[in-house]
Formats: sequence, structure tokens, C-alpha cells
Amino acid sequence: MTKLEAKNIVKHFSHESHKLTALGGINLKVEAGDFVCLVGPSGCGKSTFLRIIAGLEKPDEGQILFDGHPVTETSPERIMVFQEGALFPWLKVQDNVEFGLKMAGIPKEERAKISNRYLDMMQLTKFANSYTYQLSTGMKQRVAIARALVMDPDVLLMDEPFASLDAQTRDLLLVEMQLIWEKTKKTILFVTHNVAEATVLGTKIVVFSNRPAIIKKEFENNFPRPRVTEDESLLKLQQDILAELRPEVKKSRE
Amino acid sequence: MIIIRKNFIPHKIAFYVGIIVVWQIVSMVGIWPDNIFPSPYEVAEDLAYGAADGSLFYGIATSMWRLSIGLAIAISGGVVLGIFMARVEVINQTVGSLVLGMQSIPSIAWVPLAILWFGLSDGGIIFVTAIGAIFAVTINTYTGVKNIDPHYIEAARNMGAKGSQLIIAVLIPAAFPYMISGFKQGWAFAWRGVIGAELLFSFLGLGFLLNAGRSLNDVSQVISIMIVIMVIGLVIDTVVFKKLENKVMSRWGLQ
Ligand SMILES: Nc1ncnc2c1ncn2[C@@H]1O[C@H](COP(=O)(O)OP(=O)(O)O)[C@@H](O)[C@H]1O
Ligand SMILES: [Mg+2]
Repeated sequence: MTKLEAKNIVKHFSHESHKLTALGGINLKVEAGDFVCLVGPSGCGKSTFLRIIAGLEKPDEGQILFDGHPVTETSPERIMVFQEGALFPWLKVQDNVEFGLKMAGIPKEERAKISNRYLDMMQLTKFANSYTYQLSTGMKQRVAIARALVMDPDVLLMDEPFASLDAQTRDLLLVEMQLIWEKTKKTILFVTHNVAEATVLGTKIVVFSNRPAIIKKEFENNFPRPRVTEDESLLKLQQDILAELRPEVKKSRE
Repeated sequence: MIIIRKNFIPHKIAFYVGIIVVWQIVSMVGIWPDNIFPSPYEVAEDLAYGAADGSLFYGIATSMWRLSIGLAIAISGGVVLGIFMARVEVINQTVGSLVLGMQSIPSIAWVPLAILWFGLSDGGIIFVTAIGAIFAVTINTYTGVKNIDPHYIEAARNMGAKGSQLIIAVLIPAAFPYMISGFKQGWAFAWRGVIGAELLFSFLGLGFLLNAGRSLNDVSQVISIMIVIMVIGLVIDTVVFKKLENKVMSRWGLQ
């Protein structure tokens, strides 16, 4: 079943002196339960593409179909996890995690029941009453993921969520992300600039071209899980992806 | 970051004791007559009289009551105005420009209008207090909302927050560190406003006692009330606002 379909998504931005075309016609089909990793040169429009799917930004041409219906506004069915986490510093961890439930008018006891489950899943129970400034970067990302999962979205949109983590924390979260995906069967779109990370996580890896971005190539990835970054079986795939990606990165720097 | 703060309390005590001693000596030397330059003892005596017959506390209570109402009006009005200015550009361009102009009017300049509109009443004093404070709150709230990390707003909208929910659950708390400085400035303006207005047209209140001291040629009453005004200002600044500010800054991860 097709969960998401991007049809010829074009997005321009106007800068002071010139018009910049970020997305030059993206076509992508995502099946329910896919774990799609997006890689591409920085500045090519990956975040913009996720934001358009989330309904936080409107495309200039084309449309996103979600379960066959055009996306017109943002909705908790498609939850975004920002690179910076975008956690609310004025709320405790538990209240951050419950934020969306509260907006939906779910009563307190029920909220607590749901959030406790995800706090437990993300090993945050001990930190439920902490404020975000008291947490490490890795902990904050766990909170951001818990806050997204609590909404029980159909689609998770993750924008380089592990970019600022140290290697050990990232490896741990890579394992956990795979477990979460297997457990919840969510459809996930995951932007990363790290090809190894993409091959560990993705069932499908999509390479964006330099601006104006189109999809240059899609790779299937059916290696058994759990995968880790050092898996030698992933090397060949990583090299193939890099071979597509390198010329685009080079162009983006010219 | 760890700030090692040297404890200057002994220096402070020595400084104030020094002032009082010098003051006492100067008054004893008798360069100026007692009724022009009273000794600290006389001022203290005056404070004690005021405290004993209750007039001092009644004056404080009256001024504080007027201040609280005026400030409450300024804070609620200023926050609403500031949020609308930050979120609706046409309001910013129109009302916002007027707010900037109004902010440059000293509170005392509103007194004639207050008297004409409200008569010699509490209403007039509260009006002067509120109008003197509201624009500082408005401008700080505006700046705070404008400076909110757009990711907060996007994340909240994405999780289903809209309209008044978004304002209450995200815009106000996210802008709160700025709003606190607005409240602090607003309080300072309100305090000056209420004393100034009372001085010019009121019965009761600290400003009135100040003016009463003048008309009775009672310099020690004037000085004693000024000291009370200073101490109250200092206490509210340090106890209420400093504490609040520190708490907010650390919670919001700004420190
Ligand atoms: N709101 C915006 N206004 C103007 N330009 C933007 C805006 N958002 C993104 N861009 C530009 O669009 C391009 C793609 O940005 P982005 O989607 O963030 O890239 P990526 O996530 O792939 O690094 C960049 O050149 C960026 O400067
Ligand atoms: Mg990006």
C-alpha cells in the first residue's frame, strides 16, 4: 500500500537578488512500513522536502499524496523530528513528551499512561522530571523521538536527528531506531548525510542530486537486521551510494 | 560556567554605617539648621512615629495596592498587544509605531489627562501607573515573540497546536525570558509613576506623605519617606525580579 507519494515537487526560494530553485521536481513513492533514508549534498533541499511532506511548507508545483489524499496542512499524522530536537525548555521531559496529547485534549491520567510507555521505551523514565537543559544531546534526541512516537503518527519525518551526536551515542540510537521501526511498523523518512547510517537504517536509500534537486537514484536494502555500521556486507552498497553521491557533493561546492 | 561571587556583605554594612556616621557628624556640626538638615536620628524617629500610628504602613499599602492594579493592567494589556504586534504585521506597522511614540512620554505627563478623565481619584493614579508601564511590557513581549526559535512554533503546529493553544502553550512561555525583562522595566516605570502621581494629586499613599512633609516643612518626614520608597524598590527588584529572572534563565538554558 502506498503511504506517501511525492508528485513532481518543485520549490523555489527568493533571495534578495535572485531566485533559488531548491527542489526541481521530486517524484517518490513510499510504501507503508518503508524506512526510507534520504542522502544528498547539503543545501540541496532535503529538509525542505520533509517540511513539505509535514505540511509546514507549500510546494510551488506538484503535490504530496498521503493515503491518496493531497496534503494541504500540517497534521500529527506526519510528525517531524527536528535536527535540533526543538524541545520546549520550559517543560519537563514528561510534559514535552505529552505535549501533542495535551493539545489533542487527552485527559491527564491517560496522557501519563501513554507517555510512561514511551519514556520507558527510550530509557528516559529516570529523567521524566528533568528539564531539557539538564540533559545530554543524546538524551534530548531520545526525548524528541519519544515526543514524536507518542503521537502515534503514520509517518515519522526525521531530519538529521543524529547529526550532532557522538559516535557511541549514535550507534546506540541506530540499534534502538531499528527496534522501534520493527516494533511499531511506522513509515519513516530519515534524512542523513552519513551514508553508513543510511545503509544501517534504510530499507530504501534515496540519493538527491545537487540543486535543483531531483532524485538521482534509489537503492533497495534488504540485508538482515539488526545491522551495525561496521557490517562488511553493507560496504558494497555504501560504495555504490557514495559513487552516486560524490559527483553531486562536488557540484554543490563549485 | 561557575561564577565565583565574592561576598561583599561586610563592605556593604561598613559603607552604610559610614554614611550614617558622616551624616550624624555633619548634622551635629550645625552648618545647616535642624529643620533643613535633620540628623539620621530624627529621621529614624520620624519613621518610628509613622510606624507606631500606622500612617506609614497605610501609606505603603495604599501605594502598593494602586501599583499592583496598574501593573496588572499594564502586564495583561502589554502582553496581548505585544503578541498581536509580533504576529500580525499590519498591527505592528500601525499600532506598533504609535506604541514606540507613546513610550517616550514620561508617566507624569499623563497626569493632567488622568485628572481630567478620572478626577482626583484612585482611578486617575492607576491610569498613570498603567500607562507608564504598558509600553515597556508591550515592546519586550514583541521582541520576545519575534525572537522565538521558529522550530518551536513549527513543532507545536505539527503536533496539533493552533490558535489560542499555540499562544498559551508556546508563544508566551517561549517569549517569557524577554517578557520578564518587560515586567521588570514595567514595574520600575509603574513605581515611579505611582509615586509621581500621588505626589501631584492624591490623598493617601507614599507620594502623598512626601508632599505632606513638604507642606509641613518637615524635612525629616520627606527624607524618611524617600528612604522607604528606595528600600521598597530595592527589595522588589532584588527579591522578586532577580529571583524570577535567575530561575527563568536557568530553566530556559540561557545561563
Ligand atoms: N525559508 C527559506 N528562505 C530562503 N531560502 C531557503 C529557505 N529554506 C531553505 N532555503 C534554501 O533552500 C536550499 C535547501 O535548503 P534545505 O532544504 O535546508 O537543504 P538541506 O536540508 O538539504 O541541507 C538552501 O540553499 C537554503 O538556503
Ligand atoms: Mg537540512
